[in-house]
Amino acid sequence: MEAALAAAEARTGPIDFELWVTEKADALLRFAYVLTGDTALAEDAVQDALTTACARWSRVSRADDPEAYVKRMVVNAHISWWRRFRRREAPSPDPIRSAPAAADGATARAESDAVWALCATLPDKQRAAVVLRFYEELSYAEIGVLLHCAEATARSHVHRALAALKTTLSKEGAEDA
Amino acid sequence: MPEHDPEQELGPKISSAFRSQADAASELRGSGLAGEARRRVRKRRQALTMAAAAAVVAVAIGGVWNVAGSQSPSSSTAADSSSKEAAGSATGSGKTPPGIVAPREEVGCPPDHPILKGGGPNAVAEGTGLDLATQVSGLQACRYGLTPGATTLLGQQRFDATVAQQVIDAIKVLPERNPDLPVFKCTPRDAQPSEAIVLRFDTPEGIREVWVEYDGCDSAGFFTGSHTYGLYPAPLKLFMVGSVRPGGGTFLSALKGW
Repeated sequence: MEAALAAAEARTGPIDFELWVTEKADALLRFAYVLTGDTALAEDAVQDALTTACARWSRVSRADDPEAYVKRMVVNAHISWWRRFRRREAPSPDPIRSAPAAADGATARAESDAVWALCATLPDKQRAAVVLRFYEELSYAEIGVLLHCAEATARSHVHRALAALKTTLSKEGAEDA
Repeated sequence: MPEHDPEQELGPKISSAFRSQADAASELRGSGLAGEARRRVRKRRQALTMAAAAAVVAVAIGGVWNVAGSQSPSSSTAADSSSKEAAGSATGSGKTPPGIVAPREEVGCPPDHPILKGGGPNAVAEGTGLDLATQVSGLQACRYGLTPGATTLLGQQRFDATVAQQVIDAIKVLPERNPDLPVFKCTPRDAQPSEAIVLRFDTPEGIREVWVEYDGCDSAGFFTGSHTYGLYPAPLKLFMVGSVRPGGGTFLSALKGW
């Protein structure tokens, strides 16, 4: 019992944060990269989220799932108005399908690149909803909580994104043929 | 031709694309994140501590200045006489928050202001209302209690020329009424507001006023005698501070951010 209490107490200690980050950094960065589509933005979002988490680590570390808690911070940071504003200062090239149709084993890779490029054209909330749905495999209710919207709205974000992706993929498939 | 569920059709492709792209993003740099987070937290806390210390020092200086000022009226009189034109730009420095300056007796709120006699917002006497195009050098906000039989001056606050101009700039862009405010039907007795604020601007022509109505159930807004502007929070938050900040009001309850 005492050992369990000591362990629980130790969870709030400073070293716990370092260990936790060491263990989870890769997953957080990958998630942030999928969410933002950019390595610099991903590192920035994760760093900001970890800074916030560090400041209130005693509370974050007691959460049922600290990783989910920090990922929520990453999502919030990504869809916040000021970060979108900041991103506008670094325009990206026109979002077109960059991967040409390829034969044999390269087809899957080309399709993956195409889907990735098309996802980059989605509005932030739609992309976030798609990432949470298909990368994090969350339910629409969970996505709604994360994006501060109703479950139906989360569902709508995903379905609109899918419709846009399907239309573009179909059109480009016809052009390739 | 059967209709496919786009989620079933595209979901696996998207999932696979996300995972392969995440795998390929080898340049992601995960080292030093915790250290950097700790450094930023330390820096934030240092900044907060410094800000808090600065606030404490400012309040302490303000307190000492106020005590000194109240014990030697001659010194404040001297300060007043040296700056009759500029409403406290020098007298206010270093002892109160920006924009708020020390009250001056000769421009203080009159205890028997015409607003206390009732008559509603249109009772701004001719020639005393402010033309919003006029250049102003200061502002005295006067909050009056209008309850019949207990009319009184509830609070006053003096502001410098910058805040005075900001208040005017925030008012003059407003429409005639705020459509988001509720509309009431009530008896003339209930229509009487329990309080109102008179904004007394220093202008080259003397004191000019804008009446601010936010309580009762009859009218709400900024009244200059010749123009009416709807009640919106942007100007209110500039002067509704200290003793001039009401606890509430019929129309204020429907406004946010004041």
